[in-house]
Amino acid sequence: MRKGERKMMTSVAIGVAAPRETVKVTRNIYKPHLMTIVWMRDETHDTRTLRLQFKDPKVAETFDWKPGQFAQYSVFGVGECVFTIANSPTRKGYIECTFRQVGKVTSALRDMEVGQTIGFRGPYGNWFPVDEWEGKRLYFVGGGIGTVALRGVMQYCLDNRKRYGEILILNAARTVADLVYKSEMEEWASVDGVTLVKAVDPGGETPDWDGKVGLAPNVFEELKPTPDNAVLITCGPPIMIRFMLLAAERLGFKPEQVYTTLENRMKCGLGKCGRCNVGPYYVCKDGPVFTAAQLAKLPKDF
Amino acid sequence: MQRKRLTSENLKRWVDALIASERRVIAPVHEAGLTVFRPIQSSDEIAPNYTKSDLPFKEWLFPPTEVILCYRIEDGEPVLEDPEVDSTETVALFLRPCDAAAISILDKVFGGDYEDEFYLTRRRRLTIVGLSCTEPQPECFCTSVGLSPTSEQGSDVLLTRIGNDFLVEALTEKGEQLLNESADLFVDAGDLTKEQVTAEAVAKMRRPEPLPNFSDTYAEIFEHPVWEEVARKCLGCGVCAYSCPTCHCYDIVDEATLFEGVRCRNWDCCAFALFTLHASGHNPRPTQAHRYRQRVLHKFAYFLQTYGQNMCVGCGRCIIKCPVGMDIYEIVQRVGEQLAKV
Amino acid sequence: MAKEVKERNWEPKIVAFVCNWCTYVGADAAGTSRMQYAPNVRIIRFPCTGRIDPLFIIRAFQQGVDGVIVSGCHPGDCHYVSGNLLARRRWIVFRKFMDFIGLDLRRLHFAWVSATEGAKWAKLVNEIVEEVRSAGPAPAWAFPTNGATVLETSLPEVGLPPSPPVEMTAQIREIAKRLLGTGEVGVVVGYEMATGAREGEATPTFVNKPEDADRLVFNERCVHNLAVYLTNPLVKKFGKVGIVAKGCDIRSIVGLIQENQIKREDVSIIGVVCNGVVVNGKLAEKCVNCQVKVPHLYDHLVGDPSWAQSPSGENPLDAQIADLESLSPEERWNFWMPQFARCIRCYACRAVCPLCYCQPCIAEKHRPQWIPTSPHPHGNLAWNIIRAWHLAGRCIGCGECARACPVNIRLDLLNRKLALEVERAFGYRPGFDPSAPTPLSTYRPDDKEDFIR
Repeated sequence: MRKGERKMMTSVAIGVAAPRETVKVTRNIYKPHLMTIVWMRDETHDTRTLRLQFKDPKVAETFDWKPGQFAQYSVFGVGECVFTIANSPTRKGYIECTFRQVGKVTSALRDMEVGQTIGFRGPYGNWFPVDEWEGKRLYFVGGGIGTVALRGVMQYCLDNRKRYGEILILNAARTVADLVYKSEMEEWASVDGVTLVKAVDPGGETPDWDGKVGLAPNVFEELKPTPDNAVLITCGPPIMIRFMLLAAERLGFKPEQVYTTLENRMKCGLGKCGRCNVGPYYVCKDGPVFTAAQLAKLPKDF
Repeated sequence: MQRKRLTSENLKRWVDALIASERRVIAPVHEAGLTVFRPIQSSDEIAPNYTKSDLPFKEWLFPPTEVILCYRIEDGEPVLEDPEVDSTETVALFLRPCDAAAISILDKVFGGDYEDEFYLTRRRRLTIVGLSCTEPQPECFCTSVGLSPTSEQGSDVLLTRIGNDFLVEALTEKGEQLLNESADLFVDAGDLTKEQVTAEAVAKMRRPEPLPNFSDTYAEIFEHPVWEEVARKCLGCGVCAYSCPTCHCYDIVDEATLFEGVRCRNWDCCAFALFTLHASGHNPRPTQAHRYRQRVLHKFAYFLQTYGQNMCVGCGRCIIKCPVGMDIYEIVQRVGEQLAKV
Repeated sequence: MAKEVKERNWEPKIVAFVCNWCTYVGADAAGTSRMQYAPNVRIIRFPCTGRIDPLFIIRAFQQGVDGVIVSGCHPGDCHYVSGNLLARRRWIVFRKFMDFIGLDLRRLHFAWVSATEGAKWAKLVNEIVEEVRSAGPAPAWAFPTNGATVLETSLPEVGLPPSPPVEMTAQIREIAKRLLGTGEVGVVVGYEMATGAREGEATPTFVNKPEDADRLVFNERCVHNLAVYLTNPLVKKFGKVGIVAKGCDIRSIVGLIQENQIKREDVSIIGVVCNGVVVNGKLAEKCVNCQVKVPHLYDHLVGDPSWAQSPSGENPLDAQIADLESLSPEERWNFWMPQFARCIRCYACRAVCPLCYCQPCIAEKHRPQWIPTSPHPHGNLAWNIIRAWHLAGRCIGCGECARACPVNIRLDLLNRKLALEVERAFGYRPGFDPSAPTPLSTYRPDDKEDFIR
């Protein structure tokens, strides 16, 4: 597209000349903040964590979000991609996201280096009702890249340790190489009253593996969790979530006690473009956090 | 609100007066074998024998493609720029009541929590002069979705032909203002009413019965084989969505060179196979049956549950434009029949 | 002032797509031999001219070049044996296609330049730069330069076709009942009369039980090309498919077999004798000169071959194409650009076409995004050109794309033009021989190359 053709592209309707009067859009809901990549860490061969800082210091100071919300991250010229905000709002001043390279935008994102600029639009979506969980026992079960969706809310609960009861974190993956946040698990385990369990699928262990071996739902059941005054927060591949919900039911968890966070193909992230529409809901507005009770009512369209 | 009477001659004068005022006047014209809404410079350009436009009016509020963000690279860094959006004061003439109601449906989508300035800038500067229907077409079924040939929803001014004259009803303040500017062309309506004309038009509707909706029952019909039966014919093109005045799904893509780029918002359609395809390869709607189910339930269940109105105004464009003749009215009835048996 | 300076200083910007083994080396030789020649050409190196997709040529123009050169090894010298011979086939058709769209052919050049022909390369570049200079800066890609050209070909009146005898409908029902009853096919794809708002028209239907076969009809309103359903998973799941097919539809079926999309034994063709279908109250343009009123490939024949009438006239598309070709390139450009500007990318043309079966379609590929998805003029131009190009030598002229288009783009003219060029150049008509190689996947040593320098 040549310079000067951009004006021609701002067409009003098919085959019609440019409008007589135009005005610059002021509150552009699609305009992202500019962020600098300040740090990165590879979690696995295809999953990377980025730490981002707002270029605008005013925004850096005031930007706030709730645990569980997500954002649209832009690679200008390539596109936008949805990832959860992977750090807790108790750890302000930066935004972290963890993503797996699967497609066009994530591949372009993976080619970026520290110091480069990306876009960030958010926070969108609902959040984990962390206030309702006060005093409760918390079970976090993440499968593979599903743990990424839990990290923000986990950090929140760890940072607000006194407000919650016993915390169990089960970080599971297919193989040792697929485990994310390997370097952070020690930090989590070191917090008082937190039990950290790591697990890989049978066949995924290395000779020096000192964690559990088994499918996440099975490992979870073997830990004999109790549903009394407890909340289960889980995320992972669809098949894992399905079996986790069955396990939770078997263990006596009521559907309102079980939380998960969904992903669906998104574009606008704010409930207009229709892409993430599931039943009467938009995953980007009415989700991505859902209880198992709400999930049961959603049509199988995600 | 004002109720006035307008003769046919004065209607022409009124249109010419609107054109002479500083506004852009958009009306249905014939172009390339189609009836489309285009700006006019004279009332002679208005399409004679106009029934319904081929393409819906929504392209003037929500264009098929528009730029929502611009950027250029300066010293290696992206510099963002907000684009310009059409802010021309506009009068749209002769939207049918179904099309006007469709605009008020789109208002709900593009307003709300996140106000879409691209749509709303144009919308705020638009005054809609609706034109009631006296001759429903075979594909029309507005009465089946809670509207009527003389519905007021969405119009700022509504014209209804009664004999040789028009009943002119100002329905909003914008409409009042429009009439006041040409007050000399209108006389008082007296006891002119559109009740009889409405009844006559409704009597001509071929399919006046209300359509079932599924907002409380979609869960029961969700996995039913009826969807495959009704959707097997569907080729998965976008003609229905793009000719629909209420469909609004869109895609967001970047187009760029090394030095500058734009982010565009383009019309999209849930019937396309890639609409819900995840980068992982998982597609929640893998067959045309799944996708057609989404179309029907979005319009006749989900939107109704969220916004209180069907996302369908009964204009019938999807029926007449479909390359294989799919009739959403019949399909919704068929699904309703199967639901009753469940 | 600045604009005038810009125009005075305008230099043609030319991109050359060249092959690695011959022309690239030849151009390099020109350089190392210190030959002086115009600097306006940017070279893009390909392993072989066979790799050069016309899509690249379109992208080059879209990105603002004023001219394109395509050059490679002489025939017989291709490093990969036949890459350039296949490329030559493409160029023969593509060049005519670009002329038809309204591209000034002073902007598009083809040449054979070998590794030792540095002098030829230098001379070629100098000549081409001057030709492009004489053509001026390329018009803004995809926008008309001056209004919209209107095509007003006067066509002879043709009468309505006779209605197929009712016995044909009875025959189809009987065949369907038999095929379904014995289990030979799992589903019969045919026509039924529409109810609802499209009453009076025929519409596709799928019959998988013998007792439902009485829905099937055949009459002059059966316009759809049902072959499109032969690659549809919701139909294929029934197993072997019986299909009611007119001669034109059967040509599409032959194409699908030729390209290995279906196997001959997976389809039972119920061929119908057809004297034409009616669209918008008139005989469809595709039917005026129909040569396949009696099906040429079938498993069951419905109707009496002697009922078939001789063609009503010449193909009306040919007269319209001739009219367009009598205009100047700029007038043709101003005919096509307003058409493509109307395109809303509904992809109805692709959805109705039996031979558009690619998954994913080139327009859906996004790494890289060859064809912009946005319905702006240059995105639409790229889409429509490439779709027509991908159907060159394959489209049998059923006209469904033009019928389905909601904004009346003359896709039928585009596809017919390409079909005519393929026939003129290679003597090939698609849809008759399921075992014939497709024209652009083969070559002849004597393919005409009078336009190649």
